[in-house]
Amino acid sequence: MASDNLALTAHLMRRAGFGSTRGELEAHAARGYADLVEDLVNPERFPEVEEDVLERYYGWLEGVQGQVWAAVWIYRMVNSQRPLEEKMALFWHHVFATGVSKSDHPPSSIQQIKTFRRVGLSSLREILLELSRDPAMVFWLDNNENRKGAPNENYGRELLELFSMGVGNYSETDVKMAARAFTGWTFAQPLGLYPYGFYPSRFVYREEDHDDGVKTFLGSEGNLNGHDVIDIIAGQPATARFIARHLYNFFVADEPQVPAWSVAPPRDPEAIDALVQAYFDSGGEMRSVMRVLFNSDFFKESRFKRIKSPAELVAGVMKLTGANRFPDTRALDYADATAAMGQQLLNPPTVEGWHTGMEWIDGGTLNERVNFAVGQAQDAASPGVKAIIDRLAREGAPLSPKEFLDRCLDLVGPLTVGEETRDALLRHASAGGDLDLNADAQREAGEGRVLRMLQLIVASREYQFA
Amino acid sequence: MGRPYAMLRAGFPYVKTVGMRRMTVNFPVDLAIGKEGVLHILCRNEEGAMVRRLTGEDEDLGSFGSLGVGDGQLRWPVSIIADREGNLFVSDEALHRISKFSPQGEFLGKWGSHGAGDGELNAPSGIAFDKDENIYVADALNHRIQLFTKDGGFLAKWGSHGAGDGQFNMPWGVAVDELGDVYVADWRNDRIQKFTGGGRFIFKFGRSGSGESEFHRPAGVTVDRDGDVYVADTGNNRVQLFNHEGRYVQKFLGDATLSKSARAYMLANPMFLRLRDMAVIDEQKLFRSPRSVRVDDQGFMYVPDYGSFRVQIYRKDVERLREDQIAAPLRSPSLLTA
Repeated sequence: MASDNLALTAHLMRRAGFGSTRGELEAHAARGYADLVEDLVNPERFPEVEEDVLERYYGWLEGVQGQVWAAVWIYRMVNSQRPLEEKMALFWHHVFATGVSKSDHPPSSIQQIKTFRRVGLSSLREILLELSRDPAMVFWLDNNENRKGAPNENYGRELLELFSMGVGNYSETDVKMAARAFTGWTFAQPLGLYPYGFYPSRFVYREEDHDDGVKTFLGSEGNLNGHDVIDIIAGQPATARFIARHLYNFFVADEPQVPAWSVAPPRDPEAIDALVQAYFDSGGEMRSVMRVLFNSDFFKESRFKRIKSPAELVAGVMKLTGANRFPDTRALDYADATAAMGQQLLNPPTVEGWHTGMEWIDGGTLNERVNFAVGQAQDAASPGVKAIIDRLAREGAPLSPKEFLDRCLDLVGPLTVGEETRDALLRHASAGGDLDLNADAQREAGEGRVLRMLQLIVASREYQFA
Repeated sequence: MGRPYAMLRAGFPYVKTVGMRRMTVNFPVDLAIGKEGVLHILCRNEEGAMVRRLTGEDEDLGSFGSLGVGDGQLRWPVSIIADREGNLFVSDEALHRISKFSPQGEFLGKWGSHGAGDGELNAPSGIAFDKDENIYVADALNHRIQLFTKDGGFLAKWGSHGAGDGQFNMPWGVAVDELGDVYVADWRNDRIQKFTGGGRFIFKFGRSGSGESEFHRPAGVTVDRDGDVYVADTGNNRVQLFNHEGRYVQKFLGDATLSKSARAYMLANPMFLRLRDMAVIDEQKLFRSPRSVRVDDQGFMYVPDYGSFRVQIYRKDVERLREDQIAAPLRSPSLLTA
């Protein structure tokens, strides 16, 4: 049976990253939990993903279509030695949901994710400032049309409602004042797709479009610009609480959907309080907040209390099977798989982002999840599956059906399953008797049994949980 | 005609741009100059692969090939070369094979199988003919060069994985000069290596970086009749030119103007005209991630401008010198230049 330390380490790596290979997991567990958390929240200690190979095979990454870049992002989720960097980028992509479908300008959406990767663990103030200067966001919420005398309130409203404070913590006047503060925050017109392909855009501040009149925002009065509004927002208790709840929902346990937060209390108010405290203790530094989160008891006790997002499921299966470790021609299939499961990366459905938890699951998406995982686990030659078979074989003596099941659950997760699932898996394991991978005559059949067991496990209800 | 003793390099002016996104060219990775100057432009991305055919005057002659794994299809094509009859050979690093097409694009055959043994391929990348029309193949993931007959018969190999002389790290482009020597763009070692046709190491040049004679993942290499070596310095978004000894001469960053097809397209689209009018156009002239460079006997240099869906064309302007026209070589630089 897996040690609790190993299971806890696996939990951490599923949440702070996208899972681990068994070898990685054992090495991480040997280091100690707190040290591992320090490595995770300090990703700059580790080398970046080598993009030259990705560019060689998938093309110039600044110029590819969104779905190709999404495929490359999945590769990074699987292979990055900085898993929390990728996970924070995905987190902010959930929170600051910006869809490429409106602009049809992938370079801007790509740039936005790269920004989230770069600043995702810095202060919320810096993150919101980058967000407000991000051409993809500026266009997504029409701030390019927000001018002195003719304000467009879209960005100001969502900045408060969905990106920082949440409904009920500001007034309609605050929305209008925020909008006025961001007048003139726009982007330079990029060259068009035709005739020679996409070109990136960049933030531009147009003084002539900025409303420099006096504004009163959340009780502060003055000639406020966007920077001032962000400073005020970042200092609000409501902001700390709102971001803490997002973090809890994404990293700890499923919460109701965001629109319900103004009426539904948090699942664990004390956990939210702890994260809020960490926020203010650190001046809003996400690195510090994440350190507190991962070291907390509420996090350690939250195993399998979240339904994996499609990106987590796809990348996690690849961690298990060893697929996608070098560019291959199936990359787009992987990106398409998350889309079929309800998460097209770079293209969340609305500014509210993807609905999470049980809303990931319906008859169609569950089918896609199970088919993908089972399909990936059916190849005995895939490195991860082969490693499991070899490991079972090295254990020497034939394994009883119960031992066979327990070892497989251990090597897949370690994964904890409910009684009903366990009974069904055990019935399957028992049908073949003891498993002996070292008897030549039984090796092929034994490998087949391991494959089927792995497929059944990844098809289980429990495997859908992180 | 042999190599000149030396050259007076008058210049290497930009001539024109041909092609545009999708209408004529889509992510061009390489090109071959066929009969009567037809440009066979090899296009590749994750959503399509084909060979587009253009005249040097930017007239669209159609295309052949499609994304797939069947005969005549292309999955991850890398390099295209034309033989003396105008037949075209295309390497495919996903399918581990070389496909042969007629000048009109009819599929004629294929060879190659996946593996690491003699004559087997693992991600074949650059290909080049020698004077007998045998084919050198940069066998990228086997980190070696292999020589085949035109029909795929194994003849020779050299190289192994590493950074020493004669070793490779994912080699990409390969070229053969008129003397039969072989140049290899040693992609992940950021250098060019030169060998005899039999694989004996002669010299190397280049190192990692973005300065003169420095490379960031050089993909393409070609040699002209004067022995000048052209390198598509992909990661630095440029082409570098070296003389036959590997001495740096000059670089090309891109000078694109609107091609004939691009001009016609833009004039037919008022909104695109307006958006372009609002934008700064400086950067549109520059190369983006060029993966190949080709030259012809008239001194034209063709750069498939991968990230910009076009081909930029330059022309070399030199006076070829006899030994009696130029002073003897100097051992040291001199300030006595007046």
